[in-house]
Amino acid sequence: MTRFTAIVLSVGVLWMAATGSLWAAEPRYGGTYRFPLSTDPPTLDPAHITDTTSHTVASEIFNGLVQYDDKLNIVPDIAERWDLSPDKRTYTFYLKKGVKFHHGRECTAADFRDTFERVLHPSTRSPRTGFIDRLQGAKAYMQGQAPRVEGITVVDPYTLRLTLEQPFSLFLHLLTYSSNYVIPKDIADQRGRDFTSHPVGTGPFRLVRWQHDDHIVLEANPDYFKGRPYLDRLHYRILPEEVTRLEEFKAGNLEHTDIPSGQFLSVKHDPELAPRLVSYPILGTYAIRFNMEKPPFKDNKALRHALNYAIDRRAISDVILEGRVYPAKGVLPPTMPGYNPDLEGYTYDPDKAKQLLIEASYPGGQHLPPLDLYFNTNDTHQKIAELVQAQLLELGIRIGLRSLDWAAYIKLVDDGGTLLHRMGWIADYPDPENFLTVLHHSRNVGPAGNSARYRNPKVDALLDQADAGEVWEERKRLYQEAERLIVEDAPWIYLYYYSANMLFQPSVRGLQLTGMDAELTIGPQPMALVWLAR
Amino acid sequence: MLAFVIRRLLTLMPVLVGVTLVIFSLSYISLGDPVRAMMGQRGDPEIIAQIRRDYGLDQPLHVQYARYIGRLLQGDLGRSYRQHRRVTDLMWERLPATLRLAAAAMLIAVVFGCTAGILAAIKPNSWIDRLVMVLALLGISTPVFWSAMMLILLFGSVLRWFPISGYGSGHVWYLILPAVTLGALQTGYIARMTRSSLLDVLRQDYMQTARAKGLRDTIVLCKHGLKNAAIPVVTVIGISFADLLTGAPLTETIFAWPGIGRLMVNAVANRDFPVVMGCTLVFALVYVLANLGVDLLYAYLDPRIRYDQED
Repeated sequence: MTRFTAIVLSVGVLWMAATGSLWAAEPRYGGTYRFPLSTDPPTLDPAHITDTTSHTVASEIFNGLVQYDDKLNIVPDIAERWDLSPDKRTYTFYLKKGVKFHHGRECTAADFRDTFERVLHPSTRSPRTGFIDRLQGAKAYMQGQAPRVEGITVVDPYTLRLTLEQPFSLFLHLLTYSSNYVIPKDIADQRGRDFTSHPVGTGPFRLVRWQHDDHIVLEANPDYFKGRPYLDRLHYRILPEEVTRLEEFKAGNLEHTDIPSGQFLSVKHDPELAPRLVSYPILGTYAIRFNMEKPPFKDNKALRHALNYAIDRRAISDVILEGRVYPAKGVLPPTMPGYNPDLEGYTYDPDKAKQLLIEASYPGGQHLPPLDLYFNTNDTHQKIAELVQAQLLELGIRIGLRSLDWAAYIKLVDDGGTLLHRMGWIADYPDPENFLTVLHHSRNVGPAGNSARYRNPKVDALLDQADAGEVWEERKRLYQEAERLIVEDAPWIYLYYYSANMLFQPSVRGLQLTGMDAELTIGPQPMALVWLAR
Repeated sequence: MLAFVIRRLLTLMPVLVGVTLVIFSLSYISLGDPVRAMMGQRGDPEIIAQIRRDYGLDQPLHVQYARYIGRLLQGDLGRSYRQHRRVTDLMWERLPATLRLAAAAMLIAVVFGCTAGILAAIKPNSWIDRLVMVLALLGISTPVFWSAMMLILLFGSVLRWFPISGYGSGHVWYLILPAVTLGALQTGYIARMTRSSLLDVLRQDYMQTARAKGLRDTIVLCKHGLKNAAIPVVTVIGISFADLLTGAPLTETIFAWPGIGRLMVNAVANRDFPVVMGCTLVFALVYVLANLGVDLLYAYLDPRIRYDQED
């Protein structure tokens, strides 16, 4: 996928220049990488992982059939190669020989079958069945109507055949997700639900110690099928407070850290820290979403446009977020394939917004019903909401601010209980489908992703066509057309595209950061390639 | 005395039943759904419904409550929705950290609080008294997050005398900063209470009599003054210790201390009701036992108090 190359290369070059690794010597073995986490991973059982923290740790313990490379292409992991049938429904994976679990047994095709069936089995209660339930017969198996999943065939110990109900071009992306990492069923059965704390995989590192809420230690797997990792150990430290993480980093007790909100500029101007700063765009978009099912935003495009023109995105990105993000013009972030640089989006234009308010039958914001902007409790969300509130007030629109904790907030949003709510989205996989279809298709209204409750049959048709497409250029054209229509309909107020801003110690080498590596939880980054120059 | 202890322990049962009822009711009426919260930003409604069924969350409140009490009577606090581990295991593995921090903070509070309070009381209205009271007020009114950050910056980052954060596998060096942070608040309370209580006692006639008998000031203070002034101080210490044992989420968060307070706060945020319920029950137990301990100490400190005579 050459479309990623430019951006990823620029990130890579920036990183290498920052660390001097352009001139680095041969990689060295040994050392401990001290890796901060903001929270204790809720689980290390792949079947139950839904959060980035667990994924970050699990990705070093387990492997899947395929994975992303440093350009976000799908490349083999335990699979050596694969074929796709002419009807685009059957994938045949040829597995590498000699891949061993941490307890010494060889990993074979049967382990993948057992893993997928374990995820789908109701007794596992996996929240991620949706990442594998496109297999033929998966639904019947989940409902107890079949003893096995029809679409999984173990041809021989090193050949696995997966057949889908329908062709789905993004299936390989789904296979990279942590719930599809292979596990040894014998050990999982033996440990039962405690497998979550005693995971066994095939990965470059194996779990040695986990003191909950304090630290996790992984040690190098000398028998790793891709070769022993350079590092001896990964020492994850659970540090919930961002300021504590920064102080630990400054004291030399962490190999990397994120930057606390409000401290980006001081870090950027700190002569000691500035050279260690690495910034790069990631696949995420932050927006305020309207409720398209309820008045006043329902059937009132002029009002939605007015609010989009009323917000000064530059003030949000430069003042509140200290220049660490990029003002948004649409749904797809710039590092996403299919990003349309020609999309106009909405600029800050209060006069136009006032005019549009008149067209929307709410001149000067008069007669608007009470509007509340909901957000989950967080300092940055609060500051953004306050700025939005102030900017809308300049047009005469009064909005209230409502902050809830995540559990209460997401339930309210799911139920369509808000008129305006904030939501950020960071890609599950690097494909426009993950932003456009998941977040805008009418079949995903509600908890499935489309929290703006946006419906447009034309957009649905374009997205369906694009999702089923096989030729990238054609898919790209369809996605860009769909995005143009969506932005024109304005179910969101597009605010900014995310970026990652992190500090790394100068000794850290071998990183391959991509747009999927969000701050702190640098999930897809293969730590097996990292080494320490000291 | 034994009858009193048994009677007090028996009163624990209705307290615990009351706590389970209140928390269960709150969980029912509170916004948010543990399964939905667990799913992340989006979730398939069918899968959410299925997992809710599997956990029995689709059942009416009284059915869920009856099931919970049934398991509780067998000593089973249930499993965390989010971590899929036994609540007892989650609490048990955090208990040593909580106990260490609470004991260290209490030690600091008692030693410095009592000493400062005594010094202030024996020199009322002196510069020592004023200094002690100002420091006590500062200890009480300084927000924990601020004092924690200041201690980290000064002693962790600049002077590098102590580790900044973490449990350090139980190494005492890691304990100092969080214990001082947490102890400062209680030190303030204890110092103020010791001062006011001791001042009251020092003004009593029997203290004058003791001095008139020719006893030295130190003996008068230690033998007659402190013991009689101790009852209100012990009450504050008992409740303070219960406060410390039930966790100090903010201090634990800033210093990345793996205690029960953080477990509870995270569980509330994620609507992980089995963990919330387990923590709350244990906290109720701690408070009841702390009060019982204080009551028993009263009898030791003041021989006029005899619990058996109440019968």
